[in-house]
Amino acid sequence: MRANYSGVRNFLLGLLLLLPLCGGSAWAQAQSQDTQAQRQEVQPGNNAPTWREVRSGKEAYTTAKGREAGVLIQNEGQAWRKLRNGPIVQYGGWLVVLMLVGIGAFYKLRGPIGLHSPPTGKMIERFSSFERIAHWSMAISFCILALSGLITLFGKFVLLPLIGHTLFGWLAEFGKTLHNFVGPIFAFSVVVFVVKFIGDNWPRAYDITWLVKGGGVLTGEVVPSGRFNAGEKIWFWGGVIGLGTVSCASGLVLDFPNFDQSRSLMILASTVHVIAGLWFILWAATHIYLGTVGTTGAYDAMRDGYVDETWAREHAQYWYEDVKAGRRALPSGEPGDATATTAPTQVQH
Amino acid sequence: MARMKFLCDAERCIECNGCVTACKQENEVPWGVNRRRVVTLNDGVPGEKSISVACMHCSDAPCMAVCPVDCFYRTEEGVVLHDKDVCIGCGYCFYACPFGAPQFPQAGAFGMRGKMDKCTFCAGGPEADNSKEEFAKYGSNRLSQGKLPACVEMCSTKALLGGDGDVVADIFRDRALKRGKGAEVWGWSTAYGKPDKQQAPKGAKS
Repeated sequence: MRANYSGVRNFLLGLLLLLPLCGGSAWAQAQSQDTQAQRQEVQPGNNAPTWREVRSGKEAYTTAKGREAGVLIQNEGQAWRKLRNGPIVQYGGWLVVLMLVGIGAFYKLRGPIGLHSPPTGKMIERFSSFERIAHWSMAISFCILALSGLITLFGKFVLLPLIGHTLFGWLAEFGKTLHNFVGPIFAFSVVVFVVKFIGDNWPRAYDITWLVKGGGVLTGEVVPSGRFNAGEKIWFWGGVIGLGTVSCASGLVLDFPNFDQSRSLMILASTVHVIAGLWFILWAATHIYLGTVGTTGAYDAMRDGYVDETWAREHAQYWYEDVKAGRRALPSGEPGDATATTAPTQVQH
Repeated sequence: MARMKFLCDAERCIECNGCVTACKQENEVPWGVNRRRVVTLNDGVPGEKSISVACMHCSDAPCMAVCPVDCFYRTEEGVVLHDKDVCIGCGYCFYACPFGAPQFPQAGAFGMRGKMDKCTFCAGGPEADNSKEEFAKYGSNRLSQGKLPACVEMCSTKALLGGDGDVVADIFRDRALKRGKGAEVWGWSTAYGKPDKQQAPKGAKS
């Protein structure tokens, strides 16, 4: 019971601590109602109301043309500076390092996820050429954005001391221009990708089983899934749709400064963009790992669109069965039961 | 070495925009860029005050802190300058600066930002003093010639003070003392509380 009481007491104390803040703002309002005209009646030469107005960040009159030219002091910049130069750079930087080390350690300890049965030699179409182009557009533009974004955020601390101001300035400007132009291409490719793949990423009951078993990644068990497993589906919804929407929307606010957006909006967009972008990069690192060296045969599917039938059975069993039974067509639209016999020979490598 | 400072006396500024014009003329500032501007509060009503503002050459400059390419530097006189060859036009200094000093000429479609431009305290840039290249990028380097910034020298009412911070402070302190005493001195009410309105002098100097 004592613990309960102390909890309540702490809560009330917290409220008490917050009270002065509310009171403070009310007091400031009452003070600023005392206009400069009234104040100089009783205290000539006392410009306190004017300076209070200056500090409030309110737009006043000016002949100068420009964004918020009438604002003498804007207040959000300092908070943004502290957030960006503080926690975002520090925690963000270490998270990126930690993620790379973690992936390296996972590869060392677990190794790639291989096949349990020998490959049949019969290939099955996994992705149509349109699907591959959609994925590659997104992948390439994402990597360009991630690299140029990392240079903008961390380059000052990591690259600048190594290569000096002249070279780093050139690199960063190239990166900025690339980032600004590739951004909208990425946004467009995300939209195309989502429209194309949302059907196969729709959650199913068997996804829960897959998740509970952790996809069999650690146990080595083969867990059946649809065309995409639950892990890929979470990446699709949380990463591509969730983080994609947030980073693209905030990025477009920053990319087109010709709409006279206010500084506070751009500061907010920049903060959201950096945090969403960092999570996006961290998460994508695991996706890229699992899609290349982390899973045998996965990269061939991304590049050529074909996988071995054993691969299809072990990684996407329900999809494979559906295609073999003719319940669904191949990605390119060919009938499913006539599969694979026509697999191109040039994909053997 | 003197620490350079700007100070605008709100009691004296008459919003003539002479400082703005002087700056543009002296530095041949590109179109769309205002290194200095005059802002008027309570425009047209009693209690109107105008303040001229430009880069304040902060000791702990936010622009310098957030710049992703570290293109800013501070001279021995405390003037904050930047290197346009390194600047990438990202706009971060514009987000961070409380005074809205950094300006960006448009350098392409969609409002793409060019190299940042801001008040240099008429101290040029990293190029050789008073060279052609320095003038083209940053404008005049009056400090190296022993002159004060053009805006300051132009000010008709001497509202805008600039130069050695100690001298500027002495001038302003002298003005504040001569303007009034007791409750009329700025800051009196902060120190001793607001005087009773009935007893306060009405308009006339005591």
